[in-house]
Amino acid sequence: MQVLQAVHLQKFYRAQRKNVAAVQNVSLQISAGEVLAFLGPNGAGKTTTIKIIAGLIVPDAGQVKISGRDPHRDPKALRSIGAVLEGNRNVYWRLTPEENLEYFGVLRGLSQRVARQRSQILLERFDLQDKRRALTQTLSRGMQQKLAIAVALIHDPQLLLLDEPTLGLDVEATENVKRLVREIAAEGRAILLTTHQLDIAEDLSDRVAIINQGEIVVEEPTTDLIRQFSGTAYRIELEQPLDAERFHKLGSLATVVDQLQIHLPDPETLYSVLDILRPLPIVRIEKEQAKLTEIFLKLVREGSV
Amino acid sequence: MVMSLFLAELKRSWIQLVRYSSEVIGGMIGTTIIFYGLFLSARYIAGPAFQLGDRLDSIIVGYVLWTLMLFILGDIAGGLQQEARTGTLEQLFLSPYRAPTVFLMRTIASLLLNLAINLGILLLILLLTGSQLRFPPSLVFPLFTVLLGAYGISFAMGAMALILKQVQQLLGVFQFALLFLFTTPVETWTGTARTIGWLLPMAPGAGLLREVMARGAALNWMAWGLSLINGAVYFCVGIFLFQWATQTVKRQGKLGGY
Repeated sequence: MQVLQAVHLQKFYRAQRKNVAAVQNVSLQISAGEVLAFLGPNGAGKTTTIKIIAGLIVPDAGQVKISGRDPHRDPKALRSIGAVLEGNRNVYWRLTPEENLEYFGVLRGLSQRVARQRSQILLERFDLQDKRRALTQTLSRGMQQKLAIAVALIHDPQLLLLDEPTLGLDVEATENVKRLVREIAAEGRAILLTTHQLDIAEDLSDRVAIINQGEIVVEEPTTDLIRQFSGTAYRIELEQPLDAERFHKLGSLATVVDQLQIHLPDPETLYSVLDILRPLPIVRIEKEQAKLTEIFLKLVREGSV
Repeated sequence: MVMSLFLAELKRSWIQLVRYSSEVIGGMIGTTIIFYGLFLSARYIAGPAFQLGDRLDSIIVGYVLWTLMLFILGDIAGGLQQEARTGTLEQLFLSPYRAPTVFLMRTIASLLLNLAINLGILLLILLLTGSQLRFPPSLVFPLFTVLLGAYGISFAMGAMALILKQVQQLLGVFQFALLFLFTTPVETWTGTARTIGWLLPMAPGAGLLREVMARGAALNWMAWGLSLINGAVYFCVGIFLFQWATQTVKRQGKLGGY
């Protein structure tokens, strides 16, 4: 089931008497349970797109539907959106986590009773029970971010917009957020995630959309994109150095040996190489895969696919 | 639904008031001291024959209404700036309730608290100056029209805060213009000036409150009807401008920016 359908979004801003395109012809779809990593350099149009989807910026053209409703025309559509926006506190620092959850629950349209029940569930789930009565401003950055995500989920939305959710977090807090994102998607929610930490995008996303200068330059399933940009070569890592005889034999198969690493540009030689190596202990054999970071930089530098 | 929102806003305001009560007490004492300072200066200039009588009472009514107006203005225009700066404003606009509804519920919720605080300021001033105001039940009618106008003006200033973002200095200057509105006895003006007096925001209601509380007059219902129209018009214009400003900043993409 498609939760988000954004079609042909356009947004121009007036700057120095010129119309500058912030977003051009951007279309995005996300299904229930799917994580879309929305990547792009600074100023590429990510935040503008997210805010158009959330109904916070009115597009010049195009249409957004969240579970069939347009957030720009039908306020009920906002019941289906939860958002953690970058550079914002998102919650009240002068209130406790419990008070924040209950307040935002009602603000998102829940009754006081349901907001209280949902707060208790989320406090438990996000491991914030011990801090439920501490002032938010006294919590660690990681806990504040967990609270912001919990608040975004208080009204049980189908679409979660996460704009740089791991920015400024330490390793442990980042891992916590990653685990939560996986769990939230597994519940059947659609997640739109922006991040500059591309390893996180690679780990979490089902699909990747890359935006550059306001235009989507690629949108593919993450594994397909990585496969497309990966070569066919293999790499073998050995536990101990090669003897001279094996070294000589491998040389005749056009492999490159670098201490404990053997690089096989031709995949057809894999089993012949393994025969030569038998019975030496092997640490790992892997197909050389492109990293999302390399793909991202290549696409953004080229400006198009 | 809206009632739940009102109760949530009331709870939020109450928690912040209790948790940061020193800020409120400081505000109350500061406001009272400023008035007392002005009072002492006036008495010093006038000398031993100082007798203001119901004029002092009139000024007190105007001053306390002005402080009430400042609280409401702070709630809406000041609150908007604060939320834009700290980054919670956009979350408020993600509510299925429309923004004017959220802010209206918010200010009505804190009105009860603001009224209590202002009553405290009023009692302190009465105690210090020895003034004796009357509190007939009929004062709620002109007070209502003043509040309508105050909300209208605050929403209009809120609209400006949304669009311009930095309105602190403007708010500072505007506060003195408001002091003029609340303390000038427009009810005593005649001719064309009288008509202008009826058109000024909140001034007709404030005049009626002075009549009722300081001069002990009965409420003039005809005049109250006019002050009600005055308050309702300013309220509607304020809400309209606020709604227009939210649409404009959403078009400009400047809602959260500060």
